[in-house]
Amino acid sequence: MARIGVFVCWCGSNIAGTVDVAKVAEEASKIPGVVCAVDYKYMCSDPGQNSLRKMIREQKLTGLVLAACSPHMHENTFRRAAVKEGLNPYFVEIANIREQVSWVHEDKERATQKAIDLTKMMVEKVKKDRPIEDVKVPLTKRALVIGGGIAGIQAALDTANGGVQVILVEKEPSIGGRMIQLDETFPTLDCSSCIMTPKMVEVRQHPNIKLYTYSEIEDISGYIGNFKIKIKKKTRSVLEKDCTGCGECWNACPMHKNVKSEFNADMSERTAIYVPFPQAVPLIPVLDRSACLHYKKGGKCQKCFDACGPKCIDFGLRDEIIEEEVGAIIAATGYDLMDNSLYGEYGYGKYKDVVSGLQFERLLSASGPTEGVIRRPSDGKTPQTIVFIQCVGSRDPEKGVPYCSKVCCMYTAKHAKLFAHKVRDSQSYVFYIDIRATGKGYEEFVRSAMEQDGAVYLRGRVSRIYEDNGKLIVKGADTLSGTQVEIAADMVVLATGVIPKKDSDRLARMLGISYDKYGFFTESHPKLRPTESSTAGIFLAGMAQGPRDIPESVVSGSAAASKVLGLFSKSEYEVEGTIANVNEATCVACFYCQRVCAYHAITGKEIKDRNGNIVKVVANVNPGLCTGCGACVSACFSKSIDVKGFMDDQIYAEIKSLGV
Amino acid sequence: MKTTINEHERRDFVSGVESMLHDKLSNCYQCGKCSAGCPVNFEMDYTPNQIIKMTELGMADTVLNSKTIWLCVSCITCSTRCPKGFEVTGIMDVLREIAVKKGINSKAEREVQLFHKIFLENIKSNGRISEFELVRKYNLKTKHLFKDMFLAPKMLEKGKLKIHGVKISNLNRIAKIFKDFE
Repeated sequence: MARIGVFVCWCGSNIAGTVDVAKVAEEASKIPGVVCAVDYKYMCSDPGQNSLRKMIREQKLTGLVLAACSPHMHENTFRRAAVKEGLNPYFVEIANIREQVSWVHEDKERATQKAIDLTKMMVEKVKKDRPIEDVKVPLTKRALVIGGGIAGIQAALDTANGGVQVILVEKEPSIGGRMIQLDETFPTLDCSSCIMTPKMVEVRQHPNIKLYTYSEIEDISGYIGNFKIKIKKKTRSVLEKDCTGCGECWNACPMHKNVKSEFNADMSERTAIYVPFPQAVPLIPVLDRSACLHYKKGGKCQKCFDACGPKCIDFGLRDEIIEEEVGAIIAATGYDLMDNSLYGEYGYGKYKDVVSGLQFERLLSASGPTEGVIRRPSDGKTPQTIVFIQCVGSRDPEKGVPYCSKVCCMYTAKHAKLFAHKVRDSQSYVFYIDIRATGKGYEEFVRSAMEQDGAVYLRGRVSRIYEDNGKLIVKGADTLSGTQVEIAADMVVLATGVIPKKDSDRLARMLGISYDKYGFFTESHPKLRPTESSTAGIFLAGMAQGPRDIPESVVSGSAAASKVLGLFSKSEYEVEGTIANVNEATCVACFYCQRVCAYHAITGKEIKDRNGNIVKVVANVNPGLCTGCGACVSACFSKSIDVKGFMDDQIYAEIKSLGV
Repeated sequence: MKTTINEHERRDFVSGVESMLHDKLSNCYQCGKCSAGCPVNFEMDYTPNQIIKMTELGMADTVLNSKTIWLCVSCITCSTRCPKGFEVTGIMDVLREIAVKKGINSKAEREVQLFHKIFLENIKSNGRISEFELVRKYNLKTKHLFKDMFLAPKMLEKGKLKIHGVKISNLNRIAKIFKDFE
């Protein structure tokens, strides 16, 4: 016979202000099976929990109903208290009379009645509760980091320094990501490659990091603690073991005028066999077969091979597929830049001297196409007047980007400052809508661009740019003075906004994590679980989640690493026992459940007889992946799936208790 | 309104204003607190913060011909409250001086400009204000002969209006101030 205790919480005046808690307790005590029903000011407080535990001991309770706040708040608190008294944690049920009653109703009498009804339902449910054991999942204590930009590098280093083996996969020939393309960084103006290269080298030399560059994720299966990864290692056509990075091959390559350098944002050319930049990690060239004469002319050209001392160029090498097993994944895939040519009115692509933010960054950089001397692309002259336009590809719902790209205000201020430092007596004009400079030292940095370095800021967007007499005529507005402004500039820099990395949605689907309408990965909770993805065991870092700057990317990389280390600190991973359960006797293997499962938790399972013949195939739930959402339950035609803790008989008992 | 920015003209105008102002135009936040508190803002054609921005953009014609610079009563509410300590009142003074030097005559605020001129001449010759002289000249020039006349007896009675002998003793020092500013 069930011995149930009902505990009605006041939650101070949160519940007691709208619900007659004493009456709820009184009515609950009348329900058959309820041996005690009390109300208390704060059930979650220490004295509240102690009285609950005392009641379990004294009244020998077999089930508890807490009429209190949402189970999201304190279900675990009360379960822990029950476990301490020897009860199975799943004999604790919550009637949510705060979020579902007191906070949303005003009429005290009717609210009280609803609270009584909800309590009754839970009493009937708890009578039918069965003990549930949490599921334990083994952990493979290795981690995969996808993306070798600053966030991925930070995540990999922190995880590896915590003693965990890390596999770092980078799509490009070198790690370093976007940050290594930058010249100097706001707001301290320290040189990006100076602070980045030591980290890149550390990754390369770390005994716990296995680095795959020029590689892509081909397939991911499995679940938390047990992911299986297929990595496509694209061939460099170079035997990596033997290559010394001496540079003879790319110096010998005859194709030095035809291919745009991706690293220099198309501002210079590169050879067919190339390293993207001198500090590349690893310093091993890649042979771009789409540009190489050897492949175009049927094997005639092999100048690089001839030049190579150790003869490590092999034109016949093929892509490899490498399989790895890991227990956790950090997705740090970074970002791309908005396509500036969507703004026809700014003439990007039409006028050579209208460049993107990243292109200007390369013009500033000592490792860039002009070796750090600012020269405009059209005639190589140093510009005296530059107009910077902010929010190109940000805050523009018409172009599908209503969000703020967060970094452009700062990097434009940086550009204006560096321009003033490099070109004497120059003048920059910055068109902006708002200045977002909320980081440490950021506001001061922007003000110094105006006050010390003389950048003139105009509040307004630019409507049109056209060429006239060798000058770019910029037609904008200054809404502060209410004037239309026309400036004749030597060069225009568009503060290009950021968008998710190309194909990030494909990766998200492979990982089974959710992403927003733009393609940025979404976190499990925007405030309280900012590094967790929607899928257990997969964590997020860097710009893949949305616009953020370098310090924030580093923080998020470290945060993801700490989550991985926390996960791996236990010997096994415990999953809540409230997961789907298939009745194999009645399952007809229609696999409709598989189609509705958002977590890829359902697979087929063969049932064999004694002789090993397959009798039938049934649906099988992977406990590591199942979240207990119940979609399969409602989809099942043969009523063969239940979620533990939410069985049909329990739900029916709840409904019946209402007398309907 | 439309402005074509000419870099050289802009720089000349801005550096001219800044050297007289002893402050940088780029210091202004454009927060508008000056305009928010200005007691004569309602009569102005451009708000004080707009005047600052337009000066920065080199819109000399617009600011020097504006009503705003002549309507400013130099109450210093704006400068007192400015979060950046910017010389808002100062810029009005500077712009008035530049306008006078350039011989720009304000059409809308002709009488204010006249008052400004007579006031400064009065200071220059007396070292302080001679109310009687000021009112006499102003009323004659504006042809409001009897304006404020009824106040005179009361002021005389209280000793506020002196007909003779208002010069300060050391006029050289005043002359030096004028010279320095010119």
